Amino acid sequence: MPLKRVLHWQPNAGTTVNTQILNEVTQCVESINGVKEGRWKATLTYYKPILRDQSQAPELPRDFLGISLPEQPNKYYLIIRGQRIVLEADSSIQTIMEKLQSYKSRVALYFEGFQYQLGDFQLRVGKVTPTHSDNLRGIIMEVEYLPLSSIDKSRQVMEEFVDIWKEAISKRSLPGHFMHMEPNFMEYGLSDHYSSQHTAVQYATVMAQLIATQSVQAARN
Amino acid sequence: MECVVQGIIETQHVEALEILLQGLCGVHKEHLRVHELYLKSGPNLGHVTSEVRLLCNLEHPEPWTVKHVGGALRGAGAEQISVLVRNMVESKASKNVLRLFYALGYKLDHELLRVGSAFHFKRGAWITVTVSSINKMLKLHAIDDTVPVTLGIQVVEVTAPATSENYSEVAAAVSSFCEYLAPLLHLSKPGVSTGVVPTAAAAAASLMSDGGGTTL
Repeated sequence: MPLKRVLHWQPNAGTTVNTQILNEVTQCVESINGVKEGRWKATLTYYKPILRDQSQAPELPRDFLGISLPEQPNKYYLIIRGQRIVLEADSSIQTIMEKLQSYKSRVALYFEGFQYQLGDFQLRVGKVTPTHSDNLRGIIMEVEYLPLSSIDKSRQVMEEFVDIWKEAISKRSLPGHFMHMEPNFMEYGLSDHYSSQHTAVQYATVMAQLIATQSVQAARN
Repeated sequence: MECVVQGIIETQHVEALEILLQGLCGVHKEHLRVHELYLKSGPNLGHVTSEVRLLCNLEHPEPWTVKHVGGALRGAGAEQISVLVRNMVESKASKNVLRLFYALGYKLDHELLRVGSAFHFKRGAWITVTVSSINKMLKLHAIDDTVPVTLGIQVVEVTAPATSENYSEVAAAVSSFCEYLAPLLHLSKPGVSTGVVPTAAAAAASLMSDGGGTTL
């Protein structure tokens, strides 16, 4: 499948993300001739263990999450970041997890927005919001390069495109910038050939970064 | 959901059963070699202990299957049908699924190797018949070093996927199919042991002599 990079908006110190920034980013995609194609939506859920005895805290993962991606509507991805595990399963794994009653949903987030076509690239810009409210928690962007599946072979063209994009957005003098943190896919047992599991890992990495940024800001405030 | 019945047959009659199944279903058997791992949640995980099965079909090592078998249908209606109707959910999963469940706090309870054959066909419902020997491993995950749990006996399982809307039709289809196998083995709800049938030897001899060509 075509390779993609998932970027997130990193607000400058002391600032927070808001809908005005999201509007500006969307306008920026349209100003570089991105053709609007339709909506997209991904869902990410953090799970926490159900413990019989709360006083005993066994070594269970606190960073266990599940992701559904629009590119694979019949699949579900489970990730434990700390142990570098990504699992691809059928959507029915969610029913199995519910029936097991050993983990429950702690928080769920939507990533949703519009998709744009720009030559060989497909861009998706969207907001990150909790499933039960409209509070903006972050801005996310997927950059997909349609002709290639090899991460190494597409590295240069991808970096060139992201540089152009960053330059275009910097002209708007917004209080922040887009950031890409490439996970070490090999640690997850993933190859150079891009798959939806790579996308799931990128989302988990972006979420960890968003949480870290918001924790720092909360501590400052 | 699924409808299920089980029975046992002496290994010496398995060939006759396979001939009969092939004649009845019009499909060839598929070889079955499945490593089954039964996991249970750790001592403090979940309000009650939960169980999940991970199945690796050694003929096609990826994907694995995650299987959760839930409670059986209860009540007067369920008592009257000869087939067990139970909740069952399956999901395919990548091969690191065992690692994931260990990381989530699940422990290996036991594991076994199922070797035999399977028949998939449509007969009123999508029915799967497996005829297999159950083997235990002498060392952890040693799939090449196993011994049969019950020497000379194989397990026959008939299953069919169902929904809450159609389970009675599916159960009827399974039930009526099982009647054709009656001369060789008796199939009943899991946990209700009925043993081998006395007519098995004669029925097997008859099947072997005419190659299963008899129309039932």
